[in-house]
Amino acid sequence: MRNAGMKHGHHPPRHGGGRVGGGTPPGEGARTFGFLGPGPVWLSVSMMGRERMADGRRLRTWFFGRGFNDDRSVPSPVIEGIEGQMTEVTLSSMMPHTIHFHGLDVDQWNDGVPSTSGYVGRHQGGPGGGGHGGGYGGMSFGRVDGYDNLGPQFTYRFVAPHAGTYSYHCHVDTVLHFEMGMYGTVIVRPPDGNPRTAWNGGPSFDKEYIWHLHTFDSSWHNEMISSGRTVRHRPDYFMINGRDGANLLSDSTTAISGGPGETILIRTNNMGYQPAMVHLGGLSFEVIASDGRPLPAPVTTSQQLVAPGERYDLLLRLPMPGVWPAGVDYLDIRLNEILGRAATSITAR
Amino acid sequence: MDRRDFIKQSTLTAAAFGLSGLTNLVARDAHAAAVDVSFAAEGVFKNMVDGASIFTWRFRDLNGFGPGDLSSGLVVMEGDAVDITVYNDLDRPINLEIPGVLEGTPAVAPTGSHTYSFTAPSAGSYFYHDNVNGEIGRAMGLAGPLIVMPADGSNRLYAGGPAFDRQYTLVLHELDDRLNSAVAAGGTYDMSNYEPNYFFVNGLSYPNTAGDGDTLVAMNVGDDVALRFVNTGVITNPMHFHGYHVDVATRNRVPETTVITKDSVLVNIGECVDVMLACNQPGAYPLHTHYVPGVTANGVYVNPYGGALIVMSAS
Repeated sequence: MRNAGMKHGHHPPRHGGGRVGGGTPPGEGARTFGFLGPGPVWLSVSMMGRERMADGRRLRTWFFGRGFNDDRSVPSPVIEGIEGQMTEVTLSSMMPHTIHFHGLDVDQWNDGVPSTSGYVGRHQGGPGGGGHGGGYGGMSFGRVDGYDNLGPQFTYRFVAPHAGTYSYHCHVDTVLHFEMGMYGTVIVRPPDGNPRTAWNGGPSFDKEYIWHLHTFDSSWHNEMISSGRTVRHRPDYFMINGRDGANLLSDSTTAISGGPGETILIRTNNMGYQPAMVHLGGLSFEVIASDGRPLPAPVTTSQQLVAPGERYDLLLRLPMPGVWPAGVDYLDIRLNEILGRAATSITAR
Repeated sequence: MDRRDFIKQSTLTAAAFGLSGLTNLVARDAHAAAVDVSFAAEGVFKNMVDGASIFTWRFRDLNGFGPGDLSSGLVVMEGDAVDITVYNDLDRPINLEIPGVLEGTPAVAPTGSHTYSFTAPSAGSYFYHDNVNGEIGRAMGLAGPLIVMPADGSNRLYAGGPAFDRQYTLVLHELDDRLNSAVAAGGTYDMSNYEPNYFFVNGLSYPNTAGDGDTLVAMNVGDDVALRFVNTGVITNPMHFHGYHVDVATRNRVPETTVITKDSVLVNIGECVDVMLACNQPGAYPLHTHYVPGVTANGVYVNPYGGALIVMSAS
């Protein structure tokens, strides 16, 4: 395994498993924000997040590590791995949480599903038991009663199968923990670690952006366990990378900029509950991969539907100097009507 | 393999269909057989996994295979002459249509009956449903799977298509109990208000999905497993696989050519998506909609009960 510390400023874990991980200064080549890994990653959990939305409201969030880009709680930080190498992610938490590595086809013991893989945290008792049993309809916080307890620290291990874009998220009481912000992107680099090639023998690019697509139903953000109040998700905030509204336009992780002729890779990752239609202001682009696997042949299009759980990697060549609107329409799961929009921009100069 | 052996093997791998009434495997030993089925369209109070009792509709096979909670399933072979006689025990007219096969068919009035006849089309996954009541018919449960096997007797999705060792049919649907209440009272419902709160695979919610032989996907490492998603509901279902990537073989029986290898497979409303899973590791892994509210029962996630989550178990 490469020495992550050499390349990414990795720090050893603090006593007690606090959040540690290297961040790369913004603006370094293709990297526009901090990554954790490659190499061992330590994540703690914060359930004390307050994310400020564009309208000024502050919503409660839960998240891993120090959050996305080190400047916001949600989504959680980006984790980087290398194809064919062992990735190790250690989760420390007293409350019940897990990490599910979505799309990485890990084995059962590392899958992060409480019912089949156990949960991290202090042991939770049976119905009504445990330290948090009261007030949740007889279920402990996290609804993990009866499942295997892995203790307050657990190291997830897997060999990243193929370069590409993946996800991770907490799989405890998922409908709520996911909504609260406990999700992020995993990028698997090619075996040689080249951060500007999509996969061995695949397309190369000058810059990359992660578009983590998600929505909030703000009425859910004061719940502590799923219940009759977490049915019927009605999103009222529509985001990319934890930003909504006017904040999207000024956010360097979402607003795309480059020089004419440059090639941009946009890794879309729908971690919301609604299908997302991505468009780049009418510019055509190539869809080169989905769910961590290359397409048989690139597909040229001007919009791409990304359903919940899906990832599509979009390759955009900036054609000429100019500014284009770009963004995401979040659609109703039934009628495909636009529920809301996350609007950002593409600038070539 | 001759046809009789095929039927035996299919019976082994798909027998539980018949046991639970999901898929009625019609065993016979001649090509182009005549298949006669009788369905009662009826209302029934269905027990939700959380104890709620909700009025639903279904087509129940009268031939003796257990009705289950879902409309009966059919497995036929290409070229079969199929007659489905529908007895309407509901309070309003219905019909039976099969998208792509049998459309614009006559309605059956309450207490009436009608025989719908067709020749089994090319191999693949289909569904039948009431279309007189539009989306309300499907939302109430008046729909079921129709699986057509190749005439050459092979265990393939279609002649010359992917071969499998096992196959499972996974019917996806859901309900909004407010609609069901309105229909139970003899009324109708404005579908623009439809927001489901119970979610099913083969008519079951977790953990009952894991206790049903048709719905628990049991595999051996090395198996090629065909999974047929049939979305008879009225929401889209992005189905996420833990543990495995799958190859999307067909969408509405058209071979997929552009986006093939996936861990999250979008199954659109009214769509049949056949995927192939090459089982390459042991373990127990969930397969669930990533519209995560769909993994709940009226908002409650998985423990002690939930929604459209099934378990794949490989040894």
